[in-house]
Amino acid sequence: MATSSEPILCMTDIDKHFPGVIALTKARLTVRPGEVMALMGANGAGKSTLMNVLGGVISPNGGTIELSGATVAFQSPRDSKAAGIAFVHQELTMFGTMTVAENIFIDDFPMASQLTDTRRMRAEATRLLDLVGARIEPDMPVEQLGTGDRQLIEIARALRRNPKVIIFDEPTSSLTDRERHRLFEVVRSLRQAGAAVIYITHFLDEIFAVCDRVTVMRDGTTVSDNAIAEVTAADVVRLMLGPTEEAGRLRPPTPSSASALVEVSGLSRSGALRDVALSLRPGEIVGLWGLLGSGRTELIRALMGLDPIDDGRITWFGDGQGRSVTPTELCGFAGLVTEDRRGEGIVAPQSITDNVALPNLGHLSSALGVIDGRRAEKLACETMNRLSVKASGPQQAIGTLSGGNQQKVVLGRWLAVQPRLFLLDEPTRGLDVSAKTDILKLVVELAQSGCAVLFVSSELGELMRVADRYLVMSRGQIIDDLPPTASEDDLMRAVA
Amino acid sequence: MSVQADPTLPAPRLRLRQYLPSLILLVLVATLLTVMWAYMPNFFRLNNIINILLQASILGLLAIGMTGVLITGGIDLSMPANMALAAVLGTMAMRSTGSAAIGPVVMLAVGLALGAVNAVAVARLKMIPFVVTLSTMTVVSGTCIWITNSVSITGLPPSYTHTLLAKPFGIPVGVFAMVLFTVIASFVMQRCVPGRWLYTVGLNPRAARIGRVPVDRVIAGAYLAAGLMAGVTAVLLTARLGSASANMGADALTLDIIAACVVGGVSTFGGVGRAYGAVFGAILITVLSNVMNLAGVSFYVGLVIKGAVIVAFVAAEHRWRH
Amino acid sequence: MAVRKHPSFRQFLADRGFFIVLALTFALFSVATDNFLSVGNVFGVIHSMTPLAVMSVGMALVVMTGKIDISVGSVAFLSTSIGVIAMRDYGFGPLAACALTLLVGVVCGAVNGVLVARFGVDPLITTLGSMIAFRGLGLQLTNSVMLQLPEATRASGNIAVGPVYLDILFGALVIVGFHYLHTRRPFGRVLTAIGNDVVAANKVGLPVDRVVFQSFVISGLMAAVAGTMTALQLGAVTAFLGQGAEFNALAVIVVGGISLTGGRGNLLVGIPLGAALFEFIRNGLTHLGADPYSYRLVGGVVIFVAMYADAIRTKLLASRRKLIIDG
Repeated sequence: MATSSEPILCMTDIDKHFPGVIALTKARLTVRPGEVMALMGANGAGKSTLMNVLGGVISPNGGTIELSGATVAFQSPRDSKAAGIAFVHQELTMFGTMTVAENIFIDDFPMASQLTDTRRMRAEATRLLDLVGARIEPDMPVEQLGTGDRQLIEIARALRRNPKVIIFDEPTSSLTDRERHRLFEVVRSLRQAGAAVIYITHFLDEIFAVCDRVTVMRDGTTVSDNAIAEVTAADVVRLMLGPTEEAGRLRPPTPSSASALVEVSGLSRSGALRDVALSLRPGEIVGLWGLLGSGRTELIRALMGLDPIDDGRITWFGDGQGRSVTPTELCGFAGLVTEDRRGEGIVAPQSITDNVALPNLGHLSSALGVIDGRRAEKLACETMNRLSVKASGPQQAIGTLSGGNQQKVVLGRWLAVQPRLFLLDEPTRGLDVSAKTDILKLVVELAQSGCAVLFVSSELGELMRVADRYLVMSRGQIIDDLPPTASEDDLMRAVA
Repeated sequence: MSVQADPTLPAPRLRLRQYLPSLILLVLVATLLTVMWAYMPNFFRLNNIINILLQASILGLLAIGMTGVLITGGIDLSMPANMALAAVLGTMAMRSTGSAAIGPVVMLAVGLALGAVNAVAVARLKMIPFVVTLSTMTVVSGTCIWITNSVSITGLPPSYTHTLLAKPFGIPVGVFAMVLFTVIASFVMQRCVPGRWLYTVGLNPRAARIGRVPVDRVIAGAYLAAGLMAGVTAVLLTARLGSASANMGADALTLDIIAACVVGGVSTFGGVGRAYGAVFGAILITVLSNVMNLAGVSFYVGLVIKGAVIVAFVAAEHRWRH
Repeated sequence: MAVRKHPSFRQFLADRGFFIVLALTFALFSVATDNFLSVGNVFGVIHSMTPLAVMSVGMALVVMTGKIDISVGSVAFLSTSIGVIAMRDYGFGPLAACALTLLVGVVCGAVNGVLVARFGVDPLITTLGSMIAFRGLGLQLTNSVMLQLPEATRASGNIAVGPVYLDILFGALVIVGFHYLHTRRPFGRVLTAIGNDVVAANKVGLPVDRVVFQSFVISGLMAAVAGTMTALQLGAVTAFLGQGAEFNALAVIVVGGISLTGGRGNLLVGIPLGAALFEFIRNGLTHLGADPYSYRLVGGVVIFVAMYADAIRTKLLASRRKLIIDG
């Protein structure tokens, strides 16, 4: 291993502020040639911001980047590319109707007599595809290929200019086992060839399989940089999540003995979920625990009919005896908060009143469908008071509220609907401590009133304050069902 | 109005953006009225104003229908063609039966049926709105020309024209209809559940879906309503012209409808706009046509000006949004 | 399973449907009429479809990016009107007038392109506005009367070598040229990439705005070329030149399998095929003695079906998979 050589990339004390948010403070990253560096961090830890700085997508407010010993400042992605930094994006930038070779050369075609030089393209593409171990015809349209092959093409495109530093951003999130192993081979051969690789992932097993060192980020700063042999998986999880807040439980664990409200079996969706089975009982808060990319969001979306599913069966016991329902029907029984507040939660330009009223319009209108504005406003005021929403009044546009207050409204609007099932995906994301606690208290209240709650959070500490049992997810499957007595260590070990 | 709004919030800017189009509109109206006053002092006589409103009523009614569709983020290019076919079939029905009552029934039914075709294609088959309505526009106007051989169909029952051209209290039925539908549409859109759903679907269809809005049905409803308005307009315009013909659905009318909506503050990106705004836009476009007429601007240059106005408004709106 | 069969049949129709329809149409008209299949008639049809094909191939570039240009018919009219007026009133020679015509087409396309690519106005609204504005301008300039071409130029639209008209050769050349522009020039490849996924194209750093602008300019230019060809064929510029052409061009494009959502399609096959289907149906109907007014109706139905096939093909329907439940 060439870890003793001089670093090729050295990012020191990188700061980045966005209006109202500090994204990075004194973030550091050092990579040497012939080394695979894992970059780990929970959601919002600042990994992508740091990589965007490196990629020239955003410019930092402070700090230095040294590349091969010289200080550089990237004004644009083009600069970064020219300096020998290559990105393999998580979301593939493939153009389906075009051939493999064209996709590799899309931003810089070899030309011959005014036309693209297809012969040279094919030869070069074949060489690069060989390099990444892909057995694909360069003339194939990309849309006929699987995700694994597309990922390799993306890498081939990145390798075209012989980069010094290659960044892999969660390259395996949608790959099969075989494809993953092929990718690891590629990463190893790049290391062999002397390139520096930055490998971002949420899968702990992978860093032990391919990486030499691991840098962990938390809350916008770098918290550790270790050789892989020095750490265990549980160490890394602990570093990523930080000290769990010792805040106590909001209510003692109350496992429900009631019969199930909803039962799910065999829920599958290719590439995301595999044969998921679970049941939720009235009055309990089930914590759905797993690292990012484990399929927890996908599960919620599949249950609610937001994403199509391939197979599965949902039985609803809400009205006496059980009956099979579609996800869309289930959605009609449930209160749902998704993680994408702006895209799927609020209707930004509308007032708080309108947003609260939306799922309640049936109750708030007369038989002829005329909305009772006064009652709608009263409901909004009640919701705002109950959740202590800070706003100038119920007529303020919800888009102008702070994130925490928006989220309170998004969750609070379901209270009057009184659904018996709640699915909450990261309801506290991006909120400050007091807003978080408010939301958690509300969740407990909901359970106490007899609702079944499926609660997703990437913050373990928060989950541990409310959950009555834990379902552990990994790679699209539920791998464990832990009791409320499970300790932090148990939970960390379950996903590691 | 909030008094204690947090100064760090971007609320004031949003408010300015909201009112800017109306302000510009106001300036435009003031200019037009000044021009009118200078050229033609008679313009402001009650009779003439009623006359202008009557002229604007056809455009206004169509613009109300278009507003709903635009709010969903779609577009309906087939409205004038649908109106023409409804008028032709209704007139033929009246002529063959001799009954005046059958005409409006047929016209409304045809309008609704054509609206339903658009609704199914857009909401259910998920086809692109402009493509769907461009196709229906072509099919329908083709059918219309085919049926009529490009000849006007006359021979309306006298009671039909008599009833619809009446002027109770000196105000023509057409103006009454426009006011009535403006009030109904504004009420439904601002105060009733379907209206609230409509705006929500236009602003954020995904959030609407999660907030239990029946998104597909709302979209379908907007196209149905547009079809219905085409039918209503057919009833009135047939009476006014005393005949029905394929020419009633000329392409330039589509442009006028969109111009009325855009000028009246209806966004082509969906989610924003009021029915009365569109009607106001229709009146403005009618006045504009009259002004250009008086100023000796030819019909064709008028088209250029209208086209430019639409594009300018949409471009400006895009700027405000981003 | 019974449900399985359905989509694959649809898929088949979507993929091969229009070859079948073309073949069936051709066969039907050949049997049903006497001289539909004669060499003269076939070349006549190809002759009259060439301007449409040329217009469609320009518009197809815009469609390839996932946008739309419905001003092409009006651009054809405005540009040829200005060309003819230049010859009549300002002593332009035929070649200079032709150059002026093409220049007007480029300018019109540039106006659309700036509004769409620079100001971000919705392409449909932009070109709907310019469609009516350009036609209005043209009608104003011509006083909406028919303008005859000078004697010398009039015949040049119908020069034929044997049964092959000269403009058929020209049209074929244009289509082949555009095919290479589309498949073998970086411009064409970026165009296709944008239509595939504009977000990804921006991420990779492709010159999205510039290429979109250029596609509108080319669309305008080809509309002017098509207008010139039509004017030469007719020997005059009428007030109806190019009217409804945007719709016909759209039909040709969709029938030719070029997806309106962008990024998919083959100009070399699609445009001639689409134009031929469209024109043969029209010609066949004439031979059958059908009412000329029914053309638009038939055209509309053809395009509607083609759009539906397009919607299936781009899997807009595929996302509507349903959960299979059994009691």
